[in-house]
Amino acid sequence: MNEYVLKTNHLSKKYQNKMALNKVNLSIKKGSIYGFIGQNGAGKSTLIRIITGLAYPTSGSFELFGESNERGLTEARKRVGTIIEGPALYPHLSASENLEAHRLLKGIPGKECIEKTLKLVGLQDTGKKKAKNFSLGMKQRLGLAIALLGDPEFLILDEPINGLDPMGVVEIRELLKKLNQEYGITILISSHILSELHLLATHYGIIHEGELLEELSTSELNEKCKHYLHIKVDNPNKAATVIEGILSTQNFEVLPDGSIKLFDYVDKARDVSKALTGEGLIIEEFMPMGEDLEAYFTTRIGGVNRG
Amino acid sequence: MGNLMKTEWYKLIKDRSFRTLAFILIIFSVLYPLTMQSNEAVSKLSLYEFFLYQVLSINSDIVKLIPCIFAGFFITSEYSNGTMKSIASSGNSRLRIYFAKLIMFSIGSIFIMLILPIFMTTSVNIIFDFNGATDWILLMKAFGVISLYAAAFASIMAIIATIFTDSGKTIGLLIMFFALVNPILDFIRSKLTSLETMIDHTVFMLYPKIFKLDQLDHTELTTFILIPILTFIALGILGSFIFRKKEIK
Repeated sequence: MNEYVLKTNHLSKKYQNKMALNKVNLSIKKGSIYGFIGQNGAGKSTLIRIITGLAYPTSGSFELFGESNERGLTEARKRVGTIIEGPALYPHLSASENLEAHRLLKGIPGKECIEKTLKLVGLQDTGKKKAKNFSLGMKQRLGLAIALLGDPEFLILDEPINGLDPMGVVEIRELLKKLNQEYGITILISSHILSELHLLATHYGIIHEGELLEELSTSELNEKCKHYLHIKVDNPNKAATVIEGILSTQNFEVLPDGSIKLFDYVDKARDVSKALTGEGLIIEEFMPMGEDLEAYFTTRIGGVNRG
Repeated sequence: MGNLMKTEWYKLIKDRSFRTLAFILIIFSVLYPLTMQSNEAVSKLSLYEFFLYQVLSINSDIVKLIPCIFAGFFITSEYSNGTMKSIASSGNSRLRIYFAKLIMFSIGSIFIMLILPIFMTTSVNIIFDFNGATDWILLMKAFGVISLYAAAFASIMAIIATIFTDSGKTIGLLIMFFALVNPILDFIRSKLTSLETMIDHTVFMLYPKIFKLDQLDHTELTTFILIPILTFIALGILGSFIFRKKEIK
């Protein structure tokens, strides 16, 4: 049995002179929730569009449910539910009519699934209200309902929580967790809300300027999110000299606001404070801290350089 | 293919532009004969002659352009709504997706093109007394020919709607194209006589022959029927090839 739902092999996509994807080797294990992280224009949507058959790669290949030829991929896509760059809705149709159009498209017998799916995303009471009159959050829910029709084994969700209110975000998160844990649905989710992704994903892929920089599991991420000492003193330059001289380490970073991130001596905070106060520095803030996904991502794409 | 056809049919009957256009045409078809005050002039004609001179001339000049509007909404809006993305990623081949859309768009176009001939002919038949017996077989033949040409024109519209994924551009371009294609072809034919036969056998140049439907001999009638069918098939294949290569945004 294939362990991977999706595997790409040196997948590249070139638009005129720009490489939107550059030899991407990505793999998504069955049963995982894969958080796909990248800035706007990093290549997330391009990859999703290629996987879903909306665009074609310039070079490289990919396997979806073990299928890699055109006919096999077309068949494999029947097992996938998608939201690509926003929910795809017929604006003049109601929620149930939108689902009916997609039910017919997917060849799902019986109309019972419509009510069931609407209930699942909390849109059972929208009646004849047309989709064009829905709030952004309701549209997202309806998009998710469409993706869930036909009990897909793999969900590809591009920014599915955009526009949802805080309660909506929690509900969708819990729903996705439930779908993953109870039904074993594999999920590829891209989102700008990294804190939310951190609460959901079991694996991550970081993409930047078309290149997949890293793939890692949650445990690997936790390992890599180094803890550090956050220090703020009256004279950051002198503090830097003290850290380099007395503590003999260069594994620290002086931020623009004058605060210092010291990645060594996390378990020996007393030694640090002693060294700083011993040199006459006044400590304003001093606490151990850890990087979150957002900070790790920023560091990984080169937004912050450590000294 | 069955699933796609069912979906397209569902969307067709729910399409607001289709419903509105059909409604307007039905109202026009029923009300227009009421504006013809004089029964005297009409009574000199047979129903088929009235159909030729009144109904078909309106249908050929104006109604032919209405499916252009329908194409802009029924096909192009799938791109602007983003729904083409979910169709294309649904696990159906692009070939089937295109043909399902084309067939249902053609059915819609045929329906639009037949409203005026059917409804206006029926209403005038009720309102006025016509001269002589009505040749119903000839009328049915005319309806059949209109359907064939509507489908052929739909295959052209579908290609343009697939290339230009913007409703406004599609509608504007199609109306301009269908309004100008005959004069342009006439001009080309007068300048390049070597192309005369080819141009004469295009659906655009053949369609006006519907006014002489009762005078066509067997060969002419065969050509008249075969050309739109071949056009539909050839342009359907061409359109599906374009759609297959197209990246959907």
